[in-house]
Amino acid sequence: MVASNKSNDDRDLVGRARRGDREAFTQLIMQYQVPLYNMALRMVGRPDDAADIAQEAFLRAWEKIRTLRDAPFKSWLFQIGANLCYDHFRRGKRYGVMPDEDQASTQTSNVLGLGFSTPDPQERAEANERTRLVRDSISALDHDMRIAIILRDVNGMAYDEIAAVLRVPLGTVKSRIARARAQVQERLQQHPDFFPTREDAHAE
Amino acid sequence: MPSDRIPVEPTLEELSAYLDHELDAAAQARVAEHVAGCAECTRRLERLRETVHAVRALPMETPSRTFTIPAQRRQSFRWAPLGWIGGAAAALLIVVAGVTQLHGPSFSTTAASKGAGAQYAAAPNSQVAPLERSNDTASALAQRGASANSKTVVDPQSSSRSLTISADASSYAASGIMTIHVTTRGLSSAEAASVRVLLMRETGQPGYTVRLEPPSNAPTYPVDWEAAYSISQMHLPAPVAGRYSLQVTITKSDGQSLTATLPVTITP
Repeated sequence: MVASNKSNDDRDLVGRARRGDREAFTQLIMQYQVPLYNMALRMVGRPDDAADIAQEAFLRAWEKIRTLRDAPFKSWLFQIGANLCYDHFRRGKRYGVMPDEDQASTQTSNVLGLGFSTPDPQERAEANERTRLVRDSISALDHDMRIAIILRDVNGMAYDEIAAVLRVPLGTVKSRIARARAQVQERLQQHPDFFPTREDAHAE
Repeated sequence: MPSDRIPVEPTLEELSAYLDHELDAAAQARVAEHVAGCAECTRRLERLRETVHAVRALPMETPSRTFTIPAQRRQSFRWAPLGWIGGAAAALLIVVAGVTQLHGPSFSTTAASKGAGAQYAAAPNSQVAPLERSNDTASALAQRGASANSKTVVDPQSSSRSLTISADASSYAASGIMTIHVTTRGLSSAEAASVRVLLMRETGQPGYTVRLEPPSNAPTYPVDWEAAYSISQMHLPAPVAGRYSLQVTITKSDGQSLTATLPVTITP
């Protein structure tokens, strides 16, 4: 893993950013903007909201970076981002349901034709359909399970890193990830074509 | 299945952590051994693995905009004071207070030595924490009463919303203590915002900016706090005496912001 090199690089950049070096902080932004944005996107669904959250997280990190002592920058940044996602939910579903991303529309969209109004080449449509099903399954999870599976399977974090981001014990991380995966699997299995495996043919 | 021959059936948690190689070596081996001898668990594991792969196959999206930190805090204070403005997506409350120059180590490490003057000029050159004496400062401001230096800005979009910054004087000695009070009215918690306070130099060496940190125990919301700052701790570059502006900006969660500016003078 490059993780240790990365965090060494971070340490240097963080040290400079703490002393007010904007350019160093900008490098940290470039390094983490895509993973942070994607965490927020998979949490809250709407790209605009996710971008707002990422932007706010970077601003707060820049403002507070002097308070960051020995903790790794990455966990700390994602902790800020995760808290902002929770704030977003607490503030209420201001944007209501998301027309093409809300999991509640999974069933009705086929009927109403809301889900796939844009005609894609078939293969791409199938990929999009799979993506949408996975996305919907994740957004059906409660927030605690959702953030756990996102940090693990979208962001590729190790369990101890996730524990640091969420400030929960390792055992909690383990069980949230497991339950989240089981629930996602449950939802995906409701679509007969999702797992086209040979096991299905003979075992079930 | 014969539990004397193969290890006990792994739990969902164990299977999941097994896929992540997050079990200790003994447990990892135990799960592997069980799965190897159990068709049912092989199926469970495979299905879980496919689920994990499906989640990991979600495309990494590219954000449609670039994320920045304010390079022009100072500029935005210049044009922001008149009302809520659309713009920065961040929730910020900025109070910029003008104080005369002091010598400051952070000045030399940021603006001076980096060779990127324009980029750094607008960001705060240093920041200062409040003095820990909230009770005293409250009474200090109260004693000087309403005649103290104060500025309220009303949101042009909603006259019930306002932002007020008050200081306990309009003129301070360079060795003095500046007490400020920041409060908002009419903002709901749904519009919660963070707060930033800056003190900016208007004369002499323009652009020198000190960030005044809110008290550590100040709630993020609602915004209503008072704090005292030692001017000498602001490390303003010499000569310290001069005209400054104290500026508070609050940016709501929808990206609109409101800024109030208060002139202050520092005397030698």
